[in-house]
Amino acid sequence: MNDQPMFLVGDNPFHGISHLSQERARARGKKAASPEEAAELVLTALQSGANGFTFSVSDLTLSILRFMRERRSGKLDLYAMVPYAFEYVRTATQTGTPGLAKRLARQVVMSGGPGAIAIGLKAAITMNPSDLLSTYLAYEISRVRSSAGREMNLVSLLLNEVVTDMALALNLDWLFESYVRFLSRRSIIPGFNTRNFPFFVRKFREWDMDTSHILVATPFNKAGFQMNPSKQECEKTLGDLPSSIVLAISILAAGYLQPTVAMEYLANLPNLKGMVAGVSTEQQARETFTRARASLYKKINR
Amino acid sequence: MEKEKIRIGVVGLGKMGLLHASILNFFPEVKLAALCDKSGLMVRLASKVFSRTGINVISDLEKLVDLDLDAVYVTTPISSHSFIARNIYKSGIARHLFVEKTLASTYAEADELCRLVPQESVNMVGYMKRFSVTFGKAKDLLSQGTFEEVSSFKAYAYSSDFMGDNKASRTSAARGGALRDLGCHVIDLALWFFGDFKVISVTNESAAGNSVSFRVRRSDGLEGEFDISQCKKDYRMPEIGLSMQGSKGTIEVNDDRVRLEESNKGKLATWYRHDLNDNVDFWLGETEYFREDQHFIKSILKHKNCEPSFLTASKVDFIIDQVRHTHGFEFK
Repeated sequence: MNDQPMFLVGDNPFHGISHLSQERARARGKKAASPEEAAELVLTALQSGANGFTFSVSDLTLSILRFMRERRSGKLDLYAMVPYAFEYVRTATQTGTPGLAKRLARQVVMSGGPGAIAIGLKAAITMNPSDLLSTYLAYEISRVRSSAGREMNLVSLLLNEVVTDMALALNLDWLFESYVRFLSRRSIIPGFNTRNFPFFVRKFREWDMDTSHILVATPFNKAGFQMNPSKQECEKTLGDLPSSIVLAISILAAGYLQPTVAMEYLANLPNLKGMVAGVSTEQQARETFTRARASLYKKINR
Repeated sequence: MEKEKIRIGVVGLGKMGLLHASILNFFPEVKLAALCDKSGLMVRLASKVFSRTGINVISDLEKLVDLDLDAVYVTTPISSHSFIARNIYKSGIARHLFVEKTLASTYAEADELCRLVPQESVNMVGYMKRFSVTFGKAKDLLSQGTFEEVSSFKAYAYSSDFMGDNKASRTSAARGGALRDLGCHVIDLALWFFGDFKVISVTNESAAGNSVSFRVRRSDGLEGEFDISQCKKDYRMPEIGLSMQGSKGTIEVNDDRVRLEESNKGKLATWYRHDLNDNVDFWLGETEYFREDQHFIKSILKHKNCEPSFLTASKVDFIIDQVRHTHGFEFK
C-alpha cells in the first residue's frame, strides 16, 4: 500500500443493505446487481478514482472477485472484512450457537490442505483461543486469495464491528494482540471496524497497544449517524490520532445526506486517511468517486 | 470498592448472552462476575477465552449461589426460562432478574414466575423494541394526544429467517415458532401503545408455526390485526411495524422511521433514527440493547421497579396462549 488517500468502493448495496430503512433495502435487494454486474460497478468506480475494494467475505463477494479477476488487468487493493456477521447470525438463528460452531469448524477444517487440517484439528482439540483465531483467519485469507488471484493484493483484513466491539467491552486484549501479530507477520494490515471509535482508542491505549500500524474503519458523517458516544467525541479522538490509518464509513449516513454535503464535512476532518462509499449504478459509481477525488484528494493526502 | 458494584451473572452463552455480557461489562457500575452455560463445549472454550478477565465460567447453575450475585440475566432458549428463573429465585442466587423474551413458554409458567418475585426485586423482560427511538417517538405522539382517539391498528413482524428451509422450520417450531421468536415484540409494543386487548380470531396459520395472523379487540371496541411470519420473502433483516388510524390521521412506525399524517391538514412528517438522537455510550447490535440494559441497571441502583416487568411481559404470553387456543394452534 502506498501513502495515497484511500477511496474505497464498498459492497453494502450488492447485499441489499440500507441502514436508512428496511424498505429501501428491500427495494435494493429486488434490483440488486448480479455478481457480474457488481464487478462491473466496482471496475467503473476504479476507473473514476476509487483505488480499492472493501467487502465482507461471503459467497457473493467472492464471486464478484472472480468476475473481476477475469476482467481486469493490473493490480487492485482489497480490504476484506470478516466474519460476514449476517451469515453467521442467521445460521445461529436457524441452528443455534452449537450448530453454527459445528458448521464453521467443518468448513474451516475441510477447506485447507493436510497441514491446515492438522493445525485446525490441533486448535479444536486444545481449544487454544489464539490458535483457533489463527486457523479461522487463515481460512478466510485463503478464501479471498483463491478467488482474487495474484493480481489483487489483500492490503488489510478488517474485523467485523460486532466482534471488535464485543471483544473491546469484554476486555479480550489477547484477541487484539493475536489478531495484530498474526496479520502483521503476513504483511497484511490488521484492520478493525468499530461503531465505538473513542472507546476503541481508549482501550488500545489502556492495553499499551500501538494504533499507528492498524487500520480503523468507523462512521464519520455530518449527521453524526452511528458516531458513538457522540459526533464531537469521535471528531476529537480523530484529531488526537495523527499517525493512525482511519477510514470514514457511513459517510452519507445511509443515504440521509447529499454527497456534496458529505464530502464537504469529510474535507474538514483532520487525520482522515480515506473513505468508503457503496454504489448501486454506473452513474453513481462515476459521480461519487470523481467528486471524492476532487473534494478530498488534497485534503486527506497522506 | 469492588463490592459496591452490581455483581451480575449471565446464563446462556448464545448470541444474546454474549451481547448482554458485553454491554454489561461496559458499565462502570457493573461487575460481570459469571457466565454460565450447560454446554460442556461452550464452557471449555469460554473458560479459555475469558481466562484473563476475572469472569467465572461455570456449567452448573447451582454454583452461581456461591458468587454473591445481585442480578442474573437469563438468555437461554425460551423453553428453559421458567425452570432457570424459578431456580434462581428459589435458591437465592440473586434478587434481581432479567429474562430475555418471552418470559416463559406458556402463560401459566409466566404467571407462576410473577408470583415468585421476591420483595424489592427488580425484574425485567427483554422487549428491547420499547427502547428504540422510533417506537419511543410513536408512543410520545400517542401520549401527547396527537390522535385524540385511535380507531384501529395493524401490526406486522416479518423475517426471511426460515424461508424455504424445512429443517430450519422445524427448529423454529421447536423454539416456539414465529409468535415467540419474532411476533412477541410487536405484541408487546401494541400492549404498550394501546393497553390490554383480547384475541377474537385467528385468520391464518401455518402448520409449522412460522406464519400466523390474528385479530384482537380492546374492551372499548378498538380493533387490531397482527400478521407475523418468518418466511416472508425479501426480509433480509427482521422488521416489525405498526400503523394506527386515528380520528385526526395516521401514524406508521417501524424500526427505521415514524411517519405522521394529519388528515385534516394534509400534513406529513417523517422522523428517521437520524432525527431522534439515536447515539448511545456504547453501541452493540442496535442502540436499543444498550438503553435496555442501562434502564435495568439504573432501576437496581435506584431501587425502582422497571418496565417491561415480569407482570407486564406475562401479558404477551397470555396473548400468545390465546392465539394458540383460539384455533387449537399448538407447537410441537
